[in-house]
Amino acid sequence: MSDFSEELTRPGSDDDQVETPMVSGTGMHFPWLRKHLDSVATGGKKKKDFAQTTGACLSLTQEALLKHQWPRAAGFMHSYLQTLEDSDSSKRQAAPEIIWKLGSEILFYHPKSNVETFNTFADQMKNIGVLNYLKISLQHALYLIHHGMLEDASRNLSQAETWRYGEKSSSQEILINLVQAYKGLLEYYSWSKKKMELSQLDKDDYAYSTEAQNIFSHSWKTSVNFSALIKTPGVWDPFVKSYVEMLEFYGDQDGARKVLTNYAYDEKFPSNPNAHIYLYSFLKRAKAPRAELLSVLKILYQIVPSHKLMLEFHVLLRKSEKEEHQKLGLEVLFGLLDFAGCRKNVTAWKYLANYLRQILVKNHLGWVQEEWKTRKSWWPTFHFSYFWAKSDWKEDRDLAYEKAFVAGMLLGKGCRYFRYILKQDHQDQRKKIKRMKKSVKKYSIVKPAV
Amino acid sequence: MDFPSCLRPSLFMTGPLGVSDVPDLSFMCSWRDALTLPESPPQNCKNAVPHLAKALLWEPAMPGPLPLLPPCLDPWDPGVTAQDLLFRGGFHYRRQPQVMLDVTEQLSRFLWDHGDIAFAPLGKMMLENFRLEGGRNRSKKMTVVSAKRLLQDLGGHQPWGCPWAYLSHRLRRFSIVGGPVLGKSVSHLLGGLLHEELATRWEQLLLDEAFTGGALAWIPGRTLQVGQLVYPAGGTLDRLRFQEVSLTSGSDPQVLGDPGCIHLQGPVRQVVTSTVQGETLLAVRSDYHCAVWKMGKRRRPAPLQVLRVEKGATGISLSPHLPGELALCSRSGAVCLWNPQDGLQQVYKDTETLVFRDPSPWRWADFTTHPRVLTVGDRTGVKMIDAQGPPGCGLLLFRAGAEASCQKGERVLLTQYLGPSSPESLPPTLHLICTQFSLYVVDERLPLVPMLKWNHDLPSPALLARLLPPASPGAPHPLFLGGLGGQVQLLHITGKEASAPQLAGPPQSLPSPADSLSAFPLLEPKSQKQLQERLEAPTIGLASAFLPCASTPAVWLFQLSAAGDIFYQHLTLQAASSLHQDSGPPSDSRPDCHAPRATVPPVDQRPIPSWTARATACCSRWLEALLQVPPASPVWAAPTFSHRRLLGRLEPRELEEKVPQVLREAMAGGRLLQQRDLGLLPQAELPPAPEPGLQDELSERLEEAWEGRASAWWRKQQGMASEPGKQAKRPKRRTQLSSTFSSLTSCLDLPNTSSLPPSLERTPSEARVQPPVTPYSQESAQQLWVQGVHSERQQTLRDYMAELPLPKGTPTPGHVPMSPSRASRTQATPSRLPTPGSQPHRKRPRMGF
Repeated sequence: MSDFSEELTRPGSDDDQVETPMVSGTGMHFPWLRKHLDSVATGGKKKKDFAQTTGACLSLTQEALLKHQWPRAAGFMHSYLQTLEDSDSSKRQAAPEIIWKLGSEILFYHPKSNVETFNTFADQMKNIGVLNYLKISLQHALYLIHHGMLEDASRNLSQAETWRYGEKSSSQEILINLVQAYKGLLEYYSWSKKKMELSQLDKDDYAYSTEAQNIFSHSWKTSVNFSALIKTPGVWDPFVKSYVEMLEFYGDQDGARKVLTNYAYDEKFPSNPNAHIYLYSFLKRAKAPRAELLSVLKILYQIVPSHKLMLEFHVLLRKSEKEEHQKLGLEVLFGLLDFAGCRKNVTAWKYLANYLRQILVKNHLGWVQEEWKTRKSWWPTFHFSYFWAKSDWKEDRDLAYEKAFVAGMLLGKGCRYFRYILKQDHQDQRKKIKRMKKSVKKYSIVKPAV
Repeated sequence: MDFPSCLRPSLFMTGPLGVSDVPDLSFMCSWRDALTLPESPPQNCKNAVPHLAKALLWEPAMPGPLPLLPPCLDPWDPGVTAQDLLFRGGFHYRRQPQVMLDVTEQLSRFLWDHGDIAFAPLGKMMLENFRLEGGRNRSKKMTVVSAKRLLQDLGGHQPWGCPWAYLSHRLRRFSIVGGPVLGKSVSHLLGGLLHEELATRWEQLLLDEAFTGGALAWIPGRTLQVGQLVYPAGGTLDRLRFQEVSLTSGSDPQVLGDPGCIHLQGPVRQVVTSTVQGETLLAVRSDYHCAVWKMGKRRRPAPLQVLRVEKGATGISLSPHLPGELALCSRSGAVCLWNPQDGLQQVYKDTETLVFRDPSPWRWADFTTHPRVLTVGDRTGVKMIDAQGPPGCGLLLFRAGAEASCQKGERVLLTQYLGPSSPESLPPTLHLICTQFSLYVVDERLPLVPMLKWNHDLPSPALLARLLPPASPGAPHPLFLGGLGGQVQLLHITGKEASAPQLAGPPQSLPSPADSLSAFPLLEPKSQKQLQERLEAPTIGLASAFLPCASTPAVWLFQLSAAGDIFYQHLTLQAASSLHQDSGPPSDSRPDCHAPRATVPPVDQRPIPSWTARATACCSRWLEALLQVPPASPVWAAPTFSHRRLLGRLEPRELEEKVPQVLREAMAGGRLLQQRDLGLLPQAELPPAPEPGLQDELSERLEEAWEGRASAWWRKQQGMASEPGKQAKRPKRRTQLSSTFSSLTSCLDLPNTSSLPPSLERTPSEARVQPPVTPYSQESAQQLWVQGVHSERQQTLRDYMAELPLPKGTPTPGHVPMSPSRASRTQATPSRLPTPGSQPHRKRPRMGF
């Protein structure tokens, strides 16, 4: 039971922000607590008229936004701007952010608003409440990029980049890094455009050398822009991708590899599957040795065993000489097919069917049994039920055939799935089914009780 | 499965929630979600105007939901409210109001209402010290008190908690002597218990987690049009009903036949259904029991198993992969996998919460895309647990902390696996996590980093969520998010396999049952209150049905209220986008967004839905049935205890005889009986008449003007009205900003908003007609001239202008100069000029007249 007496004795903490909802004994905030308290409040000071009208405007604006009534919302927003004159300083300080959030949303969707209106609004908002300058600049730039106005966006970001206010706090620094990274991204866009133009030019052309020079100067600037941000923990896929592309273009393979390795293996970063995928595809492009590819894919396998690259991983493992790898190859296939989203993956089933046969021929029955042990209880209903036999046969015969083969191998020829597919005596498949029947009889891990 | 090849940039910070130094880069606004970075550099920038589903909207057919079934015949009472629990007196409007449970009032009420329980034992003990009957003090014992005298002194009643109540000498002595005995034993014991009970009730009022997940389910039938609603009914919600409903596009849902009913031995808190491999299962959670049914061939439920949960069940979910498998969690912190064939298998148990310590015993479990991996959630986070792995290990999927930039005090209210809906539109790896502030969509392949965050701002706990299949292949999934208070938000979630999930358009809010009040005829206050309470009853279940084959995609949303009523609303997709150009009857269809703007008035192009005659008739019928429901027996009734009846010796008071007599007289005379006739209250003094002359502005002004001092008077008035300094400086931002929005306001809105501050009324209507750039007229030249004037010189200028003879109709200049449009500019800092196009020509306000 929460301790309410503590709540009763604790003096009101007025240093908290105005908009933070109140706390209960459990430390949980309830946005609707105010409503309950207001219904009880009888005596005491009432809110001032000003606060009442401002509050009403805010909630009406939000309501209109949620009903997609943009002109109506604009009307209320127009009146809400009075909050900038609030005598309550904390409310006045919180206002610019709210105005920016709601105002930008209105201007984004309003049928009569256009880029110029948005620009005017953003420029004005940047200078109200200095602390929001960077955030608003960034979002403004994103808006411009979205509308295809890359040059304006770039100009905007350059302005924001040089902005400083007071002591440089860590949040400010991150924002500045982000601003720089977006600027780098814009430069990357123009770089890759130029690169494309260059590829169309003739090498002996006079223009070629100047163009090439241009590109070089670009790359140097851009790398500065990206490198600060991608050291901060986060998901920076677009930046890393374009940075690596540029590094690779200039032959800085080591640099690119360092960036990717850091992005994938730094423990402070979230376990982003893309980081490993990028590293893998980079290594593949760089024709790295198989062992290196395998080690990258092994980590990806631990993070996302359902990824489609697992099929590639399986092929690599299957080709490997090491027995340990071959065993892992089986595990990967079983692991992939555990996922509901991969249930209808014909390639995976085909691989499994072939590999099972191959392994059982090599007499590695133990490997299969080990994998099958944990799946015995649920794979039959999950994959090999009568329902799936019928629907798979109807939708995809190849899939049904591969699955039936696996079912036969794992569950014996008494399995419902196997029997159902066997019963569908189809002209084209007759030969296939006959072969399957033979293999199952020979290699199935379940021996019929004699 | 494919993973989105390029995720949206986001910062990753570890740490507790409410870290303030971290910039919140999560994309809270719906429009920011639409800003995707171009994968490859845009080829032709000019033509890359984005194709946004701006007009993506599910339009409700009516202004509010309508009742589907006749009202349940059991009376319903809203139960305790904040007013019953919290301290009322002396509540000050503070920034951080404190919650104060009103134990004193509850205690005194308890003592009044249940005096027999509270005092009987004490009374029995002290019986020999009281003398109830008898006139004079015959007993010589000093320890015996006459009850009659005491009661006489009390005057028949003692106002609660009134410190100035009259105390006689005898009474005072009695309370001082008897206080330690009477006060302590009763109040200590009772007070403690009562406080505990009140705290529990208050917590429940703030967050009633029992209905998490919702107690209403829709089971699609053999044909798409017919389905079954499964919900609890009865005043105690202990009867599980199965109601067949037929849906046809363009008309109301038809209720088919009488509902099937299963009587249970406890209130139903959650109903879930799932169809796996053609087999439909139904699971029900009550407070201490869970049960599973299998829907048979003729849609008849066949019971499979019932399970008793000792500590109380908090959540149940059905597996989307394996028929008959369930996940179950209890207050003890245990999560079990339950299969009617194989029985229970405990997957996880921890009495502690996942991320940090939270006292709530609420737990939740759901499935993931791997049939053996479950999510386990509590108020602080969500973890993925492998049922086959070693116990205790797992991966945190969501953490209430800086990773998802959670606010201080943010807690998980609901987690839901969005399911293997349709692989071509949403990956099957997504989980929905709702807190009291935001909604998160998390991909289990990238734990801790939310793919999508939307600040829903629902004014009640968001405990209900339903995801529907897309209206057409490739279209976004509608996701309904329901609060306990009846509010429903509709989000459009899209995310093909190669891109991260995102909002396809701005979320919208749907009407709640309380909005339907206008469809009912006006009633006398008592019935009106009954109706209103009924409509405002908490929503404890949400279900949606979808008619994909209809020409216009249509969705029915059903809401179950705690009073046992089901409300429905019909939503149709109003997409002016490329999805359905030919949709809808002509009356409903929305004109295209890109219609020539000059002719279209800047109003909402959509017709506002209104009640049809059929809807109001339906509501009237429902109301008639509701009014026949006997009112709930009151939770509290005034005490009927009277010492007079017990003692029978006290004289009736004079007044009580007088009342019926006066009443009779008044009736005979046909007069209105007023309080002063009874002599109860001193006659109220007449309010003072307004003193004429002093405050009369107009005559004062006329007087001054007559004597030629009008401008001085005006200046004085201005000085009085506005504080100098402060006021003069601030409006500049506002005027600049407001110009952005004023041009976008609709003129049809103005009549509605007449009650708003006058700044809205000034919204220029000419601005829309005029081209954005005002012609360079003489006036604008004058404006520029005024702008150029240095601010120190403005006073001089104003004085000078005041002396000039002005044309008729122009207000006398003073502190606020020549015309308002210029006023706003002269007050603004001269250094920054507003963009010419954005500052519309303003209408002249009526200055002081």
